[in-house]
Amino acid sequence: MTSQLSQALPMLEVDEMAAPMGAPVITFDHVTKTYPAQPKKPALHDVTLQIFAGEFIFLVGHSGSGKSTFIRLLTREIKPTSGKIYVADEDLTTMRNWRVPYLRRNIGCVFQDFKLLPNKTVFENVAFALEVIGKSRHVIKTQVPEVLRLVGLSDKLNSYPDQLSGGQQQRVSIARAIVNRPPLLICDEPTGNLDPQTSRGIMDLLERINRTGTTVLVATHDREMVDNMRRRVIALDRGHLTRDQDRGVYGFDV
Amino acid sequence: MSSLFYFFKESLQGFARNLSTTLGSIITIFLSLLIIGVFLVSGSIVERLVSSIEEEVSITAYVADDAPQESIDGLMAQIQSIDGVASVGFTTKEQALENFSNSMTTNPEIIEQLDGTNPLPASIDVDLADPQKVDEIAASIEADETFRSICDEPDNPADSLKYGQKTVDKLFSVTKYVRYLGVALVLLLVFIALVFINNTIRLAIMARRKEIAIMRLVGASNGFIRGPFLMEGALHALIGSLLAVGVLQLLRMYGIPRLQSALSFLSLDVSGNTYLMIYIVLVVAGLVIGLLGSAFAMRLYLKV
Repeated sequence: MTSQLSQALPMLEVDEMAAPMGAPVITFDHVTKTYPAQPKKPALHDVTLQIFAGEFIFLVGHSGSGKSTFIRLLTREIKPTSGKIYVADEDLTTMRNWRVPYLRRNIGCVFQDFKLLPNKTVFENVAFALEVIGKSRHVIKTQVPEVLRLVGLSDKLNSYPDQLSGGQQQRVSIARAIVNRPPLLICDEPTGNLDPQTSRGIMDLLERINRTGTTVLVATHDREMVDNMRRRVIALDRGHLTRDQDRGVYGFDV
Repeated sequence: MSSLFYFFKESLQGFARNLSTTLGSIITIFLSLLIIGVFLVSGSIVERLVSSIEEEVSITAYVADDAPQESIDGLMAQIQSIDGVASVGFTTKEQALENFSNSMTTNPEIIEQLDGTNPLPASIDVDLADPQKVDEIAASIEADETFRSICDEPDNPADSLKYGQKTVDKLFSVTKYVRYLGVALVLLLVFIALVFINNTIRLAIMARRKEIAIMRLVGASNGFIRGPFLMEGALHALIGSLLAVGVLQLLRMYGIPRLQSALSFLSLDVSGNTYLMIYIVLVVAGLVIGLLGSAFAMRLYLKV
């Protein structure tokens, strides 16, 4: 794997990238994705970039710019039409299907619609993520309360999702994403359904998670958030990588 | 171990969630396997009957009413000299009628309808020492010139010879069609059971759609996602096949003895080992149907 990676490296314009912090966690190497429904209009066109361990990145762009495709490629829900994607030195384009679950155990995912199970309590929802990857009861009993304390929901263990506010539900979903301590956390519009103040709280939480060394990638529409936080910004426009900027701003005229 | 427990828990929840379809698939499996079982049991009864007839190694040669006594005596001496023949006896027309009326005591009206005439031919009864040679000896009697001239049906001497093998052949020509019909019916039933299990598991998958999406998201292995559904299909099949085995056992204990007393001239006895084999076959077939049905459903509705 490393040899493949070093072969790929000279093709990358490393100097223009953000300052490297250790090994790249994610490498996109001339990635193009074309959906069969729209053969003329690639969802992603020749995207090349690297993301390093411990970074906090905003992925911005209008609807249809390719943000979701970018995320689905990372979790290997879909494969690129051409180009190579590496996550933690593993080539996703040649990865065997049975390995995919193990890839996903290393990637936490948070979505706009929370994706919580309504018939399970907060504790059970978070525990579910550990249960289904075969963790022991002991691990579940110690890690779940700990991660719920981290997201500030220690007092809601036995509540059901519909008894919580939107912000609290999103915290549960973040707790579920990080309870297995993945090195990479991907958030697709995590504040899309929330009011600005609640969003601020969620972003603070993501920043705190980032400070523990987790790489955080946030796809968002939230201009104010991006402008305030001044983190690395990757901008996509109709499938093209238009901007990759350290300490950037949202930058699109709405 | 803990994940097996988890599969079991989840599949039991699946039972409760889709009670009516679950019952439906259990009942179809139960009925299919019961019918398969009944076929197997009756098949082995017939097989026992056939082999007991095959073991009956006597040949009856019917002779014409007007055959001269010296030809009959000559033929009997001739047959006695054939290698493998133990003894030769003679049944007159009168004795034949008496034997017939003795075996027909339950419906004497058949005898009354004869109106005093005697349609039964006299016969030479040949007992064999070596059952293996029955065909050979029958052929040499058939080829005998004297027999050809005095046999009951001179046009076709072979018809005047009766021995176990012929009865067996006739029985086989009937059982062959019954067997084809049985196989077709069984295949149809297996197909229906597969469709039912397939549908039940499909509903179980639909009901757990959200959970499956989250399991994929957090990296549950494919085996872990599939496990509960395979377990559910296998459990349906197991319950169905155990029910079928139970009903067959009840039939064996209460049904067969009643049938036996009604058909006292046939032996319906089949050894306990045969029953055990049939039960094992049914349970294994049920498990295969259950696992296949859920595997089909997962291929169709659970793309991992």
